[in-house]
Amino acid sequence: MSGNNHQYAFFLGCIAPNRYPGIEAAAIRTSKNVGIDLLPLKGASCCPAPGAFGSIDLNVWYAMAARNVVLAEQMGMDIALVCNGCYKSIWEVNHKLKHNDELRDGVNEVLKEIDMEFKGTVDVWHLAELYYDPEIVGVKKIADSITRPLTGAKIAVHYGCHLMKPGKERHFGDTENPMWIEELVAALGAEPVQYRNKMQCCGAGGGVRGYDLAHALDITNEKMINMQDVGVDAVTEVCPFCQLQFDRGQIEIKEKFGAEYGIPVLHYNELLGLAQGMSPDELALDLHAIDVEPFLKKIL
Amino acid sequence: MAVKKDYKDQNLAEKLRDRKYYAPDSNPEFLKEVENIGQTAAHMCYQCGTCTGSCPSAPRSSYRIRLFMRKAVLGLEEECLTDPDLWLCTTCYSCTDRCPRDLAPTDAIMAMRNLAFKRDIVPRNFLQTVQLIYKSGHGVPNNDANRAARKKLGLEEEPETTHKYPEYLPGIRKILDHYRLKENADRILAEGE
Ligand code: SF4
Ligand code: SF4
Repeated sequence: MSGNNHQYAFFLGCIAPNRYPGIEAAAIRTSKNVGIDLLPLKGASCCPAPGAFGSIDLNVWYAMAARNVVLAEQMGMDIALVCNGCYKSIWEVNHKLKHNDELRDGVNEVLKEIDMEFKGTVDVWHLAELYYDPEIVGVKKIADSITRPLTGAKIAVHYGCHLMKPGKERHFGDTENPMWIEELVAALGAEPVQYRNKMQCCGAGGGVRGYDLAHALDITNEKMINMQDVGVDAVTEVCPFCQLQFDRGQIEIKEKFGAEYGIPVLHYNELLGLAQGMSPDELALDLHAIDVEPFLKKIL
Repeated sequence: MAVKKDYKDQNLAEKLRDRKYYAPDSNPEFLKEVENIGQTAAHMCYQCGTCTGSCPSAPRSSYRIRLFMRKAVLGLEEECLTDPDLWLCTTCYSCTDRCPRDLAPTDAIMAMRNLAFKRDIVPRNFLQTVQLIYKSGHGVPNNDANRAARKKLGLEEEPETTHKYPEYLPGIRKILDHYRLKENADRILAEGE
């Protein structure tokens, strides 16, 4: 009953469509199964990368992110997205411009040059929060959409940083030991497991991955050790950039530090896709650097 | 009877009595700029160290966020902006979430990075991202292997972004040109060759 579905403009970002397209395909299909239609946000760009752009000139970051928001305003639709980095740019800039007239006027001055105006008429959501929100989807509906429970799979949750932090500017509550994504994982029939220093960063953000790869990987390595210690079958996250850092990062860690973990890394939408019966091919899991096969064997 | 506190060394006594004493190379404007751009009251920092204790970058480098906070308050602009550690913050916001003074050390770092960029101090990878976005709209653009994978998934080869609709690129370039960002990125990268 597509007519009753919630509709959102789907902001893709860069890494999902251009490195892990399975996330994009899964997001569209799995969301439809729980009553959300994701419509194309034509002409969107990079969010732009909050670490790189924010560090250079916050004003450019505001203006570039605002342009993406205005595209959704023109559609008259709220934005949904699948990446914490995009959330930082799109949600935060939207929020700031809505509440700071001076900032908004400055941005609109620039947007005028391309015949655009930020009006502040839409909201921005991460798909994961829409899944958790009982007024939109809710954990029960997620559980009801499952045709292939991920029984027996032990899964570590990596929340990432820019969805929930800084907590005082967001609306997610506790940022020291949140459990809501674990609830979403449990809804798939899997067993979410706790591990040391769960809320630690993946190491990639703020431009550090590009600036000092060994430093970024050393942070990632600490997380891998902590996950391995509790014996997980996979790690899940809601950020393609974290996914890249854990997935390709494990290969780089092996090259640089000689340590090997072989822990598959799956975006929550990929997990949800598997649990809703999508095949590994329909999720392009072969694009992952770390072989997902051992995990698939466990659940298929 | 009240005892007058003082130091025997007259010079020192003089210095310490002056509560506005600054090191000769300090620039008090620097603190104002950091607070203004970062929108955080850095001078309220009482140096508890909760930030450094929360920082994933601290245990594996000489980067100390608490030190940057102090240096900002002392106006040590030169030391802050030329320190390569400035670029080791992952912007994880753990410090910001835990600071008992409700400050945003992360945003103080972002402000210092903005100020460093004004002096052409910026790592190359940041500028390369600017160039990529200017060219394609994406910091991480599409490639042939990915196009093939998209096709197999039943997605279009180009996503519904500037990749599929390059007619949106001139608008993006106009925004970047407004701030002369591409021009500066090209220049700084060329000078570093
Ligand atoms: S946690 Fe806050 S008050 Fe404590 S040293 Fe860091 S910035 Fe200063
Ligand atoms: S935001 Fe930066 S300074 Fe603060 S804890 Fe994270 S890495 Fe350290």
